[in-house]
Amino acid sequence: MKKTPLNQRHLALNARMVDYAGWDMPVQYKGITEEVMAVREKVGMFDVSHMGEVLVCGGGSGEFLNWLLSRDVTGKQKDQITYAILCYENGGTVDDLLVYEMDEDCYMLVVNAANKDKDVLHINDSLITYREKFSDRQEDIKIVDDSANYGQIAVQGPDSLKVMLDLAEKLGLNAEQKEQLQGLKRYRQIQVDKDGFERKMIISRTGYTGENGYEIYLPAELTGEVWDLLYDYGVDPAGLGARDALRLEAGMPLYGHEMAEDITPLEGDMGFFIDFSREFQGGEKMKARSTRKKIALVSEGRAIPRDGYSVYLNDEEVGVISSGSFSPTLGKGIAFALVNLDFPDDADIVEVKVRKKMEPFKHVVAPFVKK
Amino acid sequence: MTTVKEDRLYAKTHEWVEVEGNVAAIGITDFAQDQLGDLVYAEAEPVDIDVEIDDLVGSVESVKMASDLYSPVAGKIIESNESIEDAPEQINEDAFGTWFVKIEMSDPSQLDGLMDAEAYKKFCEEESA
Repeated sequence: MKKTPLNQRHLALNARMVDYAGWDMPVQYKGITEEVMAVREKVGMFDVSHMGEVLVCGGGSGEFLNWLLSRDVTGKQKDQITYAILCYENGGTVDDLLVYEMDEDCYMLVVNAANKDKDVLHINDSLITYREKFSDRQEDIKIVDDSANYGQIAVQGPDSLKVMLDLAEKLGLNAEQKEQLQGLKRYRQIQVDKDGFERKMIISRTGYTGENGYEIYLPAELTGEVWDLLYDYGVDPAGLGARDALRLEAGMPLYGHEMAEDITPLEGDMGFFIDFSREFQGGEKMKARSTRKKIALVSEGRAIPRDGYSVYLNDEEVGVISSGSFSPTLGKGIAFALVNLDFPDDADIVEVKVRKKMEPFKHVVAPFVKK
Repeated sequence: MTTVKEDRLYAKTHEWVEVEGNVAAIGITDFAQDQLGDLVYAEAEPVDIDVEIDDLVGSVESVKMASDLYSPVAGKIIESNESIEDAPEQINEDAFGTWFVKIEMSDPSQLDGLMDAEAYKKFCEEESA
């Protein structure tokens, strides 16, 4: 199994480890509920070094990415991060990702660990298609999987800025960088050169919890030191279990659940992140392929919805739970479900088959936990 | 480390069985509650239901996981512990002190198919390895 630069630290903390997409990852340290509440009320940190970093660089790379992804990566401010969907030609979803502009004509795609190898193959195949399709375009694009050279830590929660400013002090960021960090807007990044390291440290105001938070990309060899600084400052580690509960509470989708090869981004309710006003791979066939939509459900009783449970409206099966969990913050079962397109938007109560029983759930608008 | 009690029998699906005369009390082991994590839901099947071996007698869920309890013996459910519905956390606190159902056994010789404490301890070590 693959190990992140923080693996020994997780073991020393007695974390419960699981195989996640071939990575030996901590699912929980003290307990999922406690870790979720720490992030909601104070601050927590996650080892997300398993995420993939894929570089798409060279002349014309911005134009290529505009065609490859569901929205443009160019025409923005340099520090602006783009969340976009990578699609198959047929409109299905390859992955969702963040795009960081690293330099002129050089972009870093941050992708899901479970999809990274598939993504790299897909991007390479797509480059061939792109070259055939746009043979008049000048380009010198290179695709490099740089994942092994980066560690990543997410610092999330209402106290995260305070934690980050302390970390910036200890890491010796200069006055200008500290000021940038203090005023960093959502989906913006700061790049910091670290002496002795080829790769830059990147701090972005991003996350997957619904709380204010930051993600720190680090040269792999520096990851342990930064984790220790955060830990010594008193930031509690949180595992993948808390991360998944937090993202669902915040109404955020997860690949393999609300997005997949056979689930289009429109079915996953990702329309906000798709710009149909320009041509992009998968855009043409996506609408015709979309036959379901995503809805949000909250348990009326004690029942906890789980992935794969069937959803009924007026005794008729209308769909299936795509992500279901107990919400530690609300103290109730919450879920996303994919249902038929004709599911009425004003439907109030549906039923979910939980084991042998039909249990009532309220049809709501995500996010489940509002900030 | 989780504990194992000497005065019980154990099933491979991590239920404990405490026998008193013709009645078997069934719960989940300390190992099982530790694997599941903080329990947020628990339910026992109601009384007067006849069960066969491996029939559902209860359910537990943590934030991310759901797990069922299966009857290690055949018989009739004569008591069902409703208190676990309001306070599933008591199972985390005292797994061996929290029974789900009590079953009047129709064939106590079925108990011979279960593990003793020593065998269950080894079984858990193998599962964790």
